[in-house]
Amino acid sequence: MSDLGNLQSLTSSIAAVTSPFRNYLNDLHEKYRSLNEGKVADYIPELALAKPEWFGICVVTQDGHVFEVGDCDQLFTIQSISKAFVFGLALEDHGREYVNSKVSVEPTGEAFNSIVLDEVTNRPYNPMVNAGAIATTDLIKGKNGTERLKRLLEMFERYTGRVHDINVPVFLSEKATGYRNRAMAYLMLNFGMVSHNIDETLDLYFQQCSIVVNAKDLAMMAATLANGGVNPVTKKRAIDERYVQDVISVMLTCGMYDASGEWAYRVGLPAKSGVGGGITAIAPGKLGIGTFSPLLDAKGNSVRGIKVCEDLSREFGLHLFNVTTPERKLHDWIAGGDGINDW
Amino acid sequence: MPKVVSVHSYRGGTGKSNFTANLATTVAALGHRVGVVDTDVPSPGIHNLFCLEPEQMGKTLNNYLWGESPIEDTAYDVSSNVGLNSGGTLYLVPSSVKADDIARILNNGYDVKLMNDGFRSLVKALKLDYLFIDTHPGLSKETFLSIAISHVLILILRPDKQDYQGTAVTIDVARQLNVRKMLLAINKAHSKLNLEALKQKVEETYSETVAGVFPLSEDIVQLASEGVFCVKYPEHPVSQEFRRVALQITEG
Ligand SMILES: Nc1ncnc2c1ncn2[C@@H]1O[C@H](COP(=O)(O)OP(=O)(O)OP(=O)(O)O)[C@@H](O)[C@H]1O
Ligand SMILES: [Mg+2]
Repeated sequence: MSDLGNLQSLTSSIAAVTSPFRNYLNDLHEKYRSLNEGKVADYIPELALAKPEWFGICVVTQDGHVFEVGDCDQLFTIQSISKAFVFGLALEDHGREYVNSKVSVEPTGEAFNSIVLDEVTNRPYNPMVNAGAIATTDLIKGKNGTERLKRLLEMFERYTGRVHDINVPVFLSEKATGYRNRAMAYLMLNFGMVSHNIDETLDLYFQQCSIVVNAKDLAMMAATLANGGVNPVTKKRAIDERYVQDVISVMLTCGMYDASGEWAYRVGLPAKSGVGGGITAIAPGKLGIGTFSPLLDAKGNSVRGIKVCEDLSREFGLHLFNVTTPERKLHDWIAGGDGINDW
Repeated sequence: MPKVVSVHSYRGGTGKSNFTANLATTVAALGHRVGVVDTDVPSPGIHNLFCLEPEQMGKTLNNYLWGESPIEDTAYDVSSNVGLNSGGTLYLVPSSVKADDIARILNNGYDVKLMNDGFRSLVKALKLDYLFIDTHPGLSKETFLSIAISHVLILILRPDKQDYQGTAVTIDVARQLNVRKMLLAINKAHSKLNLEALKQKVEETYSETVAGVFPLSEDIVQLASEGVFCVKYPEHPVSQEFRRVALQITEG
């Protein structure tokens, strides 16, 4: 039995290396590696240190197969990607109705950092813009700032299967220059949308943006949501299954800043991007994608990451509303075998 | 679509390198672009058959595995070395024979992903129709990889109890790895054996096709790995048998 177990584990690790799907990802990496459009975020000096050539693609399937190409271990700060997951934790802490009374789920055509609230209800538009994320961060329970941060980090650990930390220089820089976010928080306080605990909440907000991840983490987080909230490798639950659809649907409508509408139309994968260069994208019931390349377009989304998601969605028919037979069948490409021409 | 052909055996000295060199050259002579990679990093040798001397080697597979150069920069056009003048092209990616280089690979290992990606880059860069992989004997991560990536796996065995047993183990592994096509080749059959009966018995034992049976040949011994037998003695029965095996690769 143990003999067979060893053989099986070795053959399956080799099968993952030679899988046509990994070869496909490799070719995709090659195809976009030379795409040098966009620029590295530089509103704080720490982000400007990112190397433009960094590029990683990772896909984790719903049954836990991991495919990595390129710089999948390179660490970077999660930035806005955390917003989707913090929204999930706020839902677990307070339930749908209460959270919805503090933040709407309406996409906004405005940029991520706009200071606009709904004129009737005074709620920020959605949990993916800065104002909305400050409001959901305010809802995270805990005795004090330390405990609240700990709860956030433990949540990310459940999603990725790895212990996370924050990048302190990034946190301090964000905090030192975050006047606009501070202004937004006070505006919301004025309308009673956030608690008086404003300094602690803002710290927690800047800290959650500074959590350190890699492309593999982002793929694992997406795969966890794709798998109904259970990490497909560790089998640990990361989020109450009732709220998986809340998180995913807001990612679909609001996840890619003010490019979300076009993204939903063309790519059709719920996703969230961050100015650190990461994108996490979900094909529910199938897989999670994590990409990392710090070159950003004018809207703050990773240029190469967008291309990778577009290609994957088109060629494997991953668009949520796709009803045609895709060019490549995902299952066959992962399993490999005779019919596949991956050369 | 390009084809990858791995030549392997459980035990050493069965004739893998000799077989790979002759088969690759025969396929190239049919007018194809053919590459050969010496993945026998611990004990490389096939460069001798292609008359590529260590002094003529600049970069080797080792440099690719260390991330020092693209794999296509470690390939040598050996067509004229072997006397191929019928239109095909033959490239060799040799492994380093420097003791220090071998030790470095043995000490640090390498990522088998790199080997997989290297094979693919090589096929693309040199526009190869066929890629032959000469292997180190026995089972290891590397041989698992060459088995898993190949379109055709050729297992060499001698008529010998140790080889029979080892071949059974290797066939099990190959099946587990879902190898697309497997062929057996019997080598070094002595003159007293009935080759046709031997072939049938081996096919029955393993339920796999025997692509060719090669006698133990004094002429091969005499050439002593200095050149490719098929080119030197094109009309020899051994060369004719290689042509029959080649057709099973190109037409199968
Ligand atoms: N049919 C044959 N008749 C006689 N000698 C042969 C025959 N085939 C191969 N040889 C000789 O057997 C020796 C071993 O062959 P070769 O180096 O090709 O084996 P190998 O399987 O590659 O060995 P290794 O496992 O060490 O890589 C060589 O000297 C070669 O010339
Ligand atoms: Mg050899």
